[in-house]
Amino acid sequence: MSGLAQSFGIAALGGYIPLLRLDRKAVARELAWSGLPMPRTGTRAVADWDEDALTMAVEAARPLCCRSAPEALRFASTSAYFTDRAQSGMALDALALPRTVRTSDAGNSRRGATSALLDALLGARSEIVTAGEQRPTQPGSAAQLAFGDGAAAVRTGPHAPARLIGHASLSYDLIDRYASRDHPFSYAYEERFVRDAAVAEVLTPVVRAACAAAGIAPAQLAHAAVHEPVSACWRAVAKALGSKAPNHCEAVSEMAGDLGVAHALYGLGLALDTAEVGDFVLLVGFGSGADAMVFEVTSPVPGASAMVAALKEGQVLVSYSRFLSLTGSLELDWGMRAEFEQKAQATVLERVGRDMVGFVGGRDSAGNVQFPKSAFPVNPALSEVEKMEDVRLADLEATIVSITADRLNFSPDPPFDFGLVQFENGARVLMEMVNRPADGFRVGDRVRMRLRIKAQNRRLGFRTYFWKAAPLVRPVLGEA
Amino acid sequence: MATGIRDKVAIVGMGCTRFGERWDVGADGLMVEAFLEALADAGIERARIEAAWVGNALDDINVGNSALPAAHALRLDKVPVTRVENMCATGTEALRGAAYAVASGAVDIALAIGVEKLKDTGYGGLPLRTKGVQNDLWMPYGSAPGTFAQLAGAYAARHGIAPGDLKRAMAHVSWKSHQNGALSPKAHLRGTVDMDKILNAPLIADPLGLFDCCGVSDGAAAAIVTTPEIARALGKADPVTIKAIQLSASNGWEMQFGAWDGATVPNTRAAAARAYAEAGIRDPRAELDMTEVHDCFSITELVTMEDLGLSDEGRAPTDILDGRFDRGGAIPCQLDGGLKCFGHPVGASGLRMAYEVYTQLQGRAGDRQRDKVDFGLTHNLGGSPFNSVAAVAILGRLN
Repeated sequence: MSGLAQSFGIAALGGYIPLLRLDRKAVARELAWSGLPMPRTGTRAVADWDEDALTMAVEAARPLCCRSAPEALRFASTSAYFTDRAQSGMALDALALPRTVRTSDAGNSRRGATSALLDALLGARSEIVTAGEQRPTQPGSAAQLAFGDGAAAVRTGPHAPARLIGHASLSYDLIDRYASRDHPFSYAYEERFVRDAAVAEVLTPVVRAACAAAGIAPAQLAHAAVHEPVSACWRAVAKALGSKAPNHCEAVSEMAGDLGVAHALYGLGLALDTAEVGDFVLLVGFGSGADAMVFEVTSPVPGASAMVAALKEGQVLVSYSRFLSLTGSLELDWGMRAEFEQKAQATVLERVGRDMVGFVGGRDSAGNVQFPKSAFPVNPALSEVEKMEDVRLADLEATIVSITADRLNFSPDPPFDFGLVQFENGARVLMEMVNRPADGFRVGDRVRMRLRIKAQNRRLGFRTYFWKAAPLVRPVLGEA
Repeated sequence: MATGIRDKVAIVGMGCTRFGERWDVGADGLMVEAFLEALADAGIERARIEAAWVGNALDDINVGNSALPAAHALRLDKVPVTRVENMCATGTEALRGAAYAVASGAVDIALAIGVEKLKDTGYGGLPLRTKGVQNDLWMPYGSAPGTFAQLAGAYAARHGIAPGDLKRAMAHVSWKSHQNGALSPKAHLRGTVDMDKILNAPLIADPLGLFDCCGVSDGAAAAIVTTPEIARALGKADPVTIKAIQLSASNGWEMQFGAWDGATVPNTRAAAARAYAEAGIRDPRAELDMTEVHDCFSITELVTMEDLGLSDEGRAPTDILDGRFDRGGAIPCQLDGGLKCFGHPVGASGLRMAYEVYTQLQGRAGDRQRDKVDFGLTHNLGGSPFNSVAAVAILGRLN
């Protein structure tokens, strides 16, 4: 155990789960004729058509930016959209962090987030590690129902409420499953083999080593957040090591699905929410080996309880065909209007892209805010060209002024809700709405801003991102 | 102090194609149809056209950029031709250009022609934009019904009207126009539609149903304008004259600044106020005999009645249901069936409206003829309620 990390730990956490939760039982019923094995209990979080690993990772990280800027922003995903354009750089702009914050991207491993976290802690740096996942899955595969879309983020810092007291890592090319350029869907090997090998060769040794480094016995662990490659791994490890700590990642799997690179961090949020001061909490990231970290809780960790709440909120989705359409597994013929595509130009993005993805408007000399900025203010009280002060709108609430549910123009998940929203600072913006309530949007509804994909050009393989307005609160799962 | 163009410009000939799904003809053919009718009506040779303004809004999908498509189609020989585009106000914009040319003394005879060939897109509704500009990075790309539907919720909220009551008034707007369109030989949709069918139609953009939306059509319309003196020399003893043409364009205030509640179209109000002043109309309710307004959607016509000052604030639904704007009402609206029945070939619509007023002013409207028509108003609304170009024109007779 390095002395460097002794005072460092988890300063705060954030999580994001998309609104829709696919009812696994409904899908199992739909596919009963096939006889294929698949999970049949709980729900699986499903990203909207305009969400991806980046948007969700940004949402998870948003609560972690409100204090000072971090030294670095780390983005982790095995399902990031761009392969040669840093998601971390886009996240930086979406979070309106200074360009001097260092960024890096971790891919190709479900363990990317925990590895980045451990590096930050060992380096005693105040960093944000955010992980988002939206993995493609094949209809009929167990992974399609077992996986989930979502994100989790942590902020490291000194004098943290959950300080790192021990850690261990093991690099081990155990192929429990893989995805590749030629096989983008996850290819899974037999569960029994994976469980036996992972427990014996990876998880048990690494947990034992981390506890030893922390100077505690595994039996002293109060809570665990272990990303299991297959179910029941932790049960076997805990039995072997004499731990009775519950694995909080199981609840994430049950209610949202396996979040891939974000899974362990989300489970950590749940574990830290339950933990009491003085408890030891285990975090294990798995994938081509494992990272294990032991934290000592010294006070409640900001953000943990919100992650618990988010897991319990959502809308149950029972339509398998809508799920298949949302995930790109089913290509409906949407007609000629769907042939529409817009090309985003790098020149335009260079001029205004940072204001767009950061949702930055301008305050004029009379105090009114507008979006986007302009040379002549829109404020009728002003008549001269002026330079406006940047004002970020992404973190503000607004009120719907006008609204419709458009059923004519193409939307991958109709209807297309849009209208004018009014911010208290004066800004009025025509916006798309997301997370449509069961009875639709109304004039006067309060909304908050969510980062989403604005436009998707499939032919050119390019996305633009902007903010859309969502209801302030979500329904409790099962009640809407 | 500008005096405006009242009675400085006469319309001596107009033409209008049959609007509809004109699979038989392209944009060039549509322009030729409208142009030939206008020439015959004016009783002049093509060579007397000294300048032309062609209105065409959606160049990328049909007619093409610049003056050339019109110059080619009409074989205008080395004539200054200008293409104008101002969204749904394009047709009136073309008429304004030609009228200003005559009023200024720059030319004696000018042509305004508007055309749109929408049905070559292959789908309903207006064609889609595909250019990548700054607005595309943030602005929702809703459909035309999607943007205008928002008037309904805002109007209902401002005036405390139950959505069902507003929906019935909107349905009456469409019902009335279909009644009128049945009498218009050049209209696209010529069948009457009963109220239940309108009220129960599938939603296009909440709360607009299918029959709250105007048709999408191909069409062209043209006007030949000149001075009153030349009009008389051409044998038009009591020529139709332009009393006013006014435009008003949004500067972003409605959609970027928080002072507008979304229940009116401020540009229509501004253009109407200026047009009434230019035409010398003090009491539009008493002086206007007919209107052809931009009924792209039923709610647009409803709100426009208040924006033009033809209904008190919040009273348009009641006035509409009372039949005030029906064919036999005090100020009939859309005697020809409007956009509702003609459809909306964007560049042509403003001139198609003028064509109906022109026809009524001359008592040539057949079954649709209104007993007394001294002043008629046309109104276009381009863009969306929150980002619009409004055009108001008033036509009458010289004497």
